[in-house]
Amino acid sequence: MASCTYTVPDKAASGDNFYGAVICNQVYVDYFWNTYGFSGNKAYWDDGWGWDDCCNTSKPLARAFNGCYALTYSASDYLNDSYSAPILNWGRRYVRENIDDLRCFCGDGTAIARSKSGGLVEVYLGFFYSKDVPGRAETLIHESRHQGGKPHDANFPSGSVFGSGKSGADSSWDYEGAWMYGALYLWWYYATGARTTSALRERARQRGNLVIDNAFATHPGFSI
Amino acid sequence: MLPSKGFDTPFLESPDTLETQRTEHPFSFQTSKDKQLNAVIVDAINRMGGVGDDAEESYRHALRSLTKWGPGVLDVIVAEYDDLPEDRYLDRWSLVQLIVELRYPEAVKPLNRIIAARIPAEKVKKSHDMSTVGEEVMIRTTAVEALVRLSADDVAEAREVLLKHAAHRTFSIRRACVQGLMQTGTDDDKRKLRRLLKERKEEGLLKIKQVDVVCCPASSKERGPTP
Repeated sequence: MASCTYTVPDKAASGDNFYGAVICNQVYVDYFWNTYGFSGNKAYWDDGWGWDDCCNTSKPLARAFNGCYALTYSASDYLNDSYSAPILNWGRRYVRENIDDLRCFCGDGTAIARSKSGGLVEVYLGFFYSKDVPGRAETLIHESRHQGGKPHDANFPSGSVFGSGKSGADSSWDYEGAWMYGALYLWWYYATGARTTSALRERARQRGNLVIDNAFATHPGFSI
Repeated sequence: MLPSKGFDTPFLESPDTLETQRTEHPFSFQTSKDKQLNAVIVDAINRMGGVGDDAEESYRHALRSLTKWGPGVLDVIVAEYDDLPEDRYLDRWSLVQLIVELRYPEAVKPLNRIIAARIPAEKVKKSHDMSTVGEEVMIRTTAVEALVRLSADDVAEAREVLLKHAAHRTFSIRRACVQGLMQTGTDDDKRKLRRLLKERKEEGLLKIKQVDVVCCPASSKERGPTP
């Protein structure tokens, strides 16, 4: 068992302050809890993680729900989660079909999230407190892609911010791995994200371009 | 081994525990005694993260309130940027994004300083999905975006800084400067840029195009996820 602490600013650009007011509704709480892998994992989300205080956006559970809200409702036609629509629509479907259990831990500061076997995804402090709300949706999609059977298959290119030559990159955009899914989601969020601000969409563009520039062994040859 | 689907049996000992402490906002405003201005800056940054059908309008309203102070507001924003702890990446980014939105020509000098500032060494070397260098780069590419908008507003100094940082040591910053200058620069700027890239043997940067998600084959996933 580990114990961790974190200081959270109430008013900041992450989006939590506003999303919090929206997700504080039993209908959403029940839907997210039962859909995105929280169900059956109460013990992990207790003891300061927010299970008994799920509207409090200082705490991880509400911040995870905020990511789930962005994942679910950022397409203007969010009721359409067909795989023939853009990833902004079907990203939520892909997450719910691939993550069975979502559990939280302090972590050791070296990862945002990790995929384990059998549909289990672990999320760490950085997921809640260093990522903005759409960034958390991106992480859930990234990890879902691993659960969907696509491990990273290459080393990061020379000059990559993720570490030149280290493992953990995808070979190319066409490999359609976890980095591609995350970047694709951010691309669509930037271009057509609904119920958000131009600032958070710009943040998605910057993050998407960072991934495109640094996470593929062969640069895709375009940017957002 | 844990089952693939969890169950809600209470643990005898919880896996991890967390204690959170709340602060009103991340800023100190040590150099600004204008409480009204400080409050408007906090409000604008807070509304960056708005949600709902009126999120953008609320954000724009906050920005309009901020413009009443004129370019002098840049001094406060830049001072806050300098005062924030290095690891408050999202908060530092949000201040640079404010500069992007305000589009004051007086911002060129501080933007140049932000981009030129040395990027601290990676703090999470063992990670594959987080990078403090990456966070620093996003702050700087957002500063580049501010320069691109000023260049589009015909601020010549912004174009000079874009040209200078087209030789930045970090790939994403070079790529952003090259694209921005090609989109908003004069013919003379573009000529200088091509010459620079030729000297550096980096003409390949000109081939990386900004693409509209709606018409790009690479962005369409109409066949759905592949196995």
